[in-house]
Amino acid sequence: MGSKLSIILFSGTTDKILSAGVLSQAGAAMGSEVNIFVTFWGLLSFTKGEKKMMLPKEFEHMGPALMQGLQKEHVKSWYEMIMEAKEFGAKVYACSMACGVMNIKREDLDPIVDDMVGAAAFLQKAEGGQTLFI
Amino acid sequence: MDTTKIIDSRGAACPGPITDLARAYRNSKVGDILELWATDKGVRADTQAWATKTGNEILDVKEDPEKIVVKIKINKR
Repeated sequence: MGSKLSIILFSGTTDKILSAGVLSQAGAAMGSEVNIFVTFWGLLSFTKGEKKMMLPKEFEHMGPALMQGLQKEHVKSWYEMIMEAKEFGAKVYACSMACGVMNIKREDLDPIVDDMVGAAAFLQKAEGGQTLFI
Repeated sequence: MDTTKIIDSRGAACPGPITDLARAYRNSKVGDILELWATDKGVRADTQAWATKTGNEILDVKEDPEKIVVKIKINKR
């Protein structure tokens, strides 16, 4: 083992966050060390409070059909997926610079976030593994 | 004593079954047989990848109209 998956979650739309959730959970189940670095638009879904479904403009009309499909296939929410990944040791980090820019304080972040770190700290954690930018 | 444990992941979407397998793996010991039941079609390739990665062995994969059954022998903990 000793493998590692690091995800830079930049996007704020639910479709992309869901992809990050699937890969985090799968990576964690495979025994990989998983690190998720949430930055910019991604952060909007990692503050405390209700998680709203958001789709890219060009796919908005497919929202209801997508919801139906997700329910039919019993696909869990991205939040549950990341929680499952965390059960195997996955870590979620919020980008300190983006938090500053968006005026998000440590106490505003959802408890799913382990820590607020800078880019250098994340790169050091990601070194030697696979890194995805989503 | 070696045991066979059934993991029922029927109805769970990817990556649910592989997560259920990983969870059962944590409580297993060398020699155990884990039998994963799933309906997600990705489970064949996913369990193969998981076994290769973790150093365990796929003994058998069977598919009937209701489920795919993968038998995994735990060789490494």
